[in-house]
Amino acid sequence: MTELTLAELAEQTGVPERTIRYYIARGLLPPPIRAGRGACYGPEHREALERIRRLQARGLTLAEIARRLAGETRRDGLPTPSPWWSYPIAEDVLVWVRADAAPWRLKQVREALLDLAARLRTNQQEEENDRDAGD
Amino acid sequence: MPATEAAVGFAPRQAATGEELDLAMQSLWLAGRILPVGAHLVVRHTFRSQEQKPIEVIYSFALPRDAALRRFRVSGEGFSVRSELKPVQEAVRAYEDGLQAGHLSTLARSYRDGVVNLTLGNLRPGEAVTVLLEILCGVELHDDGLRFRFPFTLAPSYHARARVGEAAPGVGEIELPEDEFGDVILPRWAAEVSGLHEIGFRLTVEAGAELASVGSPSHAVDVKLENGRRGSVMLARERDVPNRDLVLDVRTREAWSGTLAGLCRQGQGHFAIVIPSSRFGARPEEPRSVVFVLDRSGSMSGAPIAQALKACEACLAALDSQDRFGLVVFDDHVEAFRAELVECSRENRDRAREFLAGVDARGGTELAAGLKAAARILRDEGGDIFLLTDGQVHGTESIIEQARAAGIRIHCLGIGSASQDRFLALLARETGGVSRFLTPSERVDRGALELFASVGRPVATDVTVESEGLGDARIEPKPAGQVFSGTPLVIFGSTQGAAQGALRVRWQNGGERRALEVPVEIGPNSMGETLRLIRGARLISDWESRTEEPPEEGALGQRRQRRAQERLRRLSETYGLASREMALVAVVERAGDQPGELPKTTVVPVGMPEDVEFGAYFPGVRSRMVYHQLLREPKGQAFGRVLLCQADTRAKARKARPSWDILLELASAIEPDGGMPGDDDEERALASLLALLCFLAEGNTETSGPYRRHVQRLVAFLEKVSLNERHRRIADGVLELARRGGSLPGNWLELLALGPAPDCWNRIAERLAEEAGRTSGLP
Repeated sequence: MTELTLAELAEQTGVPERTIRYYIARGLLPPPIRAGRGACYGPEHREALERIRRLQARGLTLAEIARRLAGETRRDGLPTPSPWWSYPIAEDVLVWVRADAAPWRLKQVREALLDLAARLRTNQQEEENDRDAGD
Repeated sequence: MPATEAAVGFAPRQAATGEELDLAMQSLWLAGRILPVGAHLVVRHTFRSQEQKPIEVIYSFALPRDAALRRFRVSGEGFSVRSELKPVQEAVRAYEDGLQAGHLSTLARSYRDGVVNLTLGNLRPGEAVTVLLEILCGVELHDDGLRFRFPFTLAPSYHARARVGEAAPGVGEIELPEDEFGDVILPRWAAEVSGLHEIGFRLTVEAGAELASVGSPSHAVDVKLENGRRGSVMLARERDVPNRDLVLDVRTREAWSGTLAGLCRQGQGHFAIVIPSSRFGARPEEPRSVVFVLDRSGSMSGAPIAQALKACEACLAALDSQDRFGLVVFDDHVEAFRAELVECSRENRDRAREFLAGVDARGGTELAAGLKAAARILRDEGGDIFLLTDGQVHGTESIIEQARAAGIRIHCLGIGSASQDRFLALLARETGGVSRFLTPSERVDRGALELFASVGRPVATDVTVESEGLGDARIEPKPAGQVFSGTPLVIFGSTQGAAQGALRVRWQNGGERRALEVPVEIGPNSMGETLRLIRGARLISDWESRTEEPPEEGALGQRRQRRAQERLRRLSETYGLASREMALVAVVERAGDQPGELPKTTVVPVGMPEDVEFGAYFPGVRSRMVYHQLLREPKGQAFGRVLLCQADTRAKARKARPSWDILLELASAIEPDGGMPGDDDEERALASLLALLCFLAEGNTETSGPYRRHVQRLVAFLEKVSLNERHRRIADGVLELARRGGSLPGNWLELLALGPAPDCWNRIAERLAEEAGRTSGLP
């Protein structure tokens, strides 16, 4: 692949020029090859843009993507902490869910948990009924 | 004043340390002229770079209601250049080419939901540049004045597919999906506002009628009334921070009824006519059906939800026994009090209040789902929706589209320091309703009850407007088809040139067809150009709410969308105003511009609206505190209640108890028959009498004050309740006083709070006698 101008890179990837500059400023993309008048972009820029799009589609924010690209470690050597919710959905079942997920994702998770909780309740009910019947 | 502040030079400094702040945009100054039918504003943005390399600065802001950008002028050392209006793609191309060539490029482009990105590229190290941006916008006009609102911060808003996170501790970020919102960049939200750009303002007000007062519930202001009808208002402090909307309240001594008219530069005539609602006749007191729709999303947590709940309870109490109501609360799922409308019986109202007592703020803002549920409740019978929300939601165009399709009037009460005024005004107008808003420190009762009283009872329906003797005058935008008490009818129109004639307005009031004629004279007058622009901005905002994106499936949807875009573009060209289809761009060539250098892109941060919790939107370090708190709370059922609520803020908001707050509680206690609760008629009558005295003492009468409806109902109850002869005489004395609009001095609130003891009858009788003595002039 040949070297691209910013406009060409934008056209080929569908990512507007201003957005590409914004990504470079945030360290999500490497700076252009050569500075000044001869600035141009190569396949690594294209690939990086595609990777950003993929991660965005999974609900990651630019800050999270930057952290991921930077290797996910902080200066003190500890991984970045993340908040979690705990749902005691039955007496004997506890489910942990990441609390900083996107709202739509949390909604999905909550619905799935409601289903699970309902199913666990019915199972329990049936067992009790069976036991009662057996007695 | 701390010593550091006295030493402030050109650059803003950190309040705590006196350190110079590294801000790409340093200040924002608002100037302009407010008229009864709209405002002409100029916003000055001051940019200055302290970076070592050229930068590209993105400032993101929200448009006020009915607003459009006209043009900007970008000035710096040795240059001052005016923007050009171009179709969006051409404008972006011009901007990018200018940037590539090393020139100073500026682009103002609007996106969905009235979000604008002002982008300034290639600002050199140390360079200072100002951008003067002209904006035309609307105002919230009342019979007795107007409210003006300008967003100094863009409130973070909910979207189901938004990516939300903390970019750094205390700095939140929201990214919207590209397929719907394009390349819009939202600001970063800072929990700590002292390190942000400064804001200030100076505005003139021309109210038509004689001004009674000009004030602001949001900012400390200095007001000068120049002559009876003109005033100026400016920020009283040297500077302020961008963490809330500016709200100005303008009250006039009497309802203004009048015409603004003039010729624009092209020689066309433009007019705006304001007819106060009182001219249309009395409000019909027929039974009504209302569904309350209450936003309980996370952004409402704290003071806003407390305020909304109070407003809701007070409005419930203003319903009559023949009225029917429904109640829906929503966040990212919807709960209804009942699946259908219910009678306003005592039992139902108590149940509804219990239902409200369990409401706290959490989760997302699925406004469309809430409205849909309300529409289902109203399905066959018809009625109105009364919506209480901060409107902090993205994708507003499709919400408006769905609401319009449902064909139900929606009345909006906007809550909070940065409620989406533009959206709520459009939503109400496009469905035939009325909107008002409450700011955080404001009395809940005034705005809410005033608005609620008009819900479901238009003073005029089937309004038609025809011109006579004005040539081929165009009445556009289409005037409201109904008028509600408190909100005047505004008619905009244009003519080919100077003209003299009249407008004939016809409408239905009760069973009667009525008409009225307003003379219109259009001659040379500097007002013409301003009116043309205000009208254009209004037309553009209306059309922007009608171009739904993404379009419906199939070729038909795409054709519809193309037509709408084409129409928007023509409007932009006709009025010389930007829209989602046309953007403003300027490219300045400076000596020594270096082509090809890549500027570093930075985004201007704004403050979180002062009454919105940071953790309500940005889960992360801070919200973990909430999480621990919730874990400690013994809650068996963890579902539903977990997210986005901060338990302590609600309690905090309830601590302050001004007298109007207690009145609100009194008002909500009134039973459907109009009396206060009690064990028997005697006790109820006494409690009602005391409550009536409380309302009278705060200046309410049967015909005026926010609680006039409650006064009327107490009076009606007291007139027919059975009493012994002595008590009847005392009650009649108070009723007589109420009719005259008088009041009795006394600590009635206290007596009522202690539980009305039979001794109170004597107290009232004594005071009545004193009052009678005073008025008759006898000792």
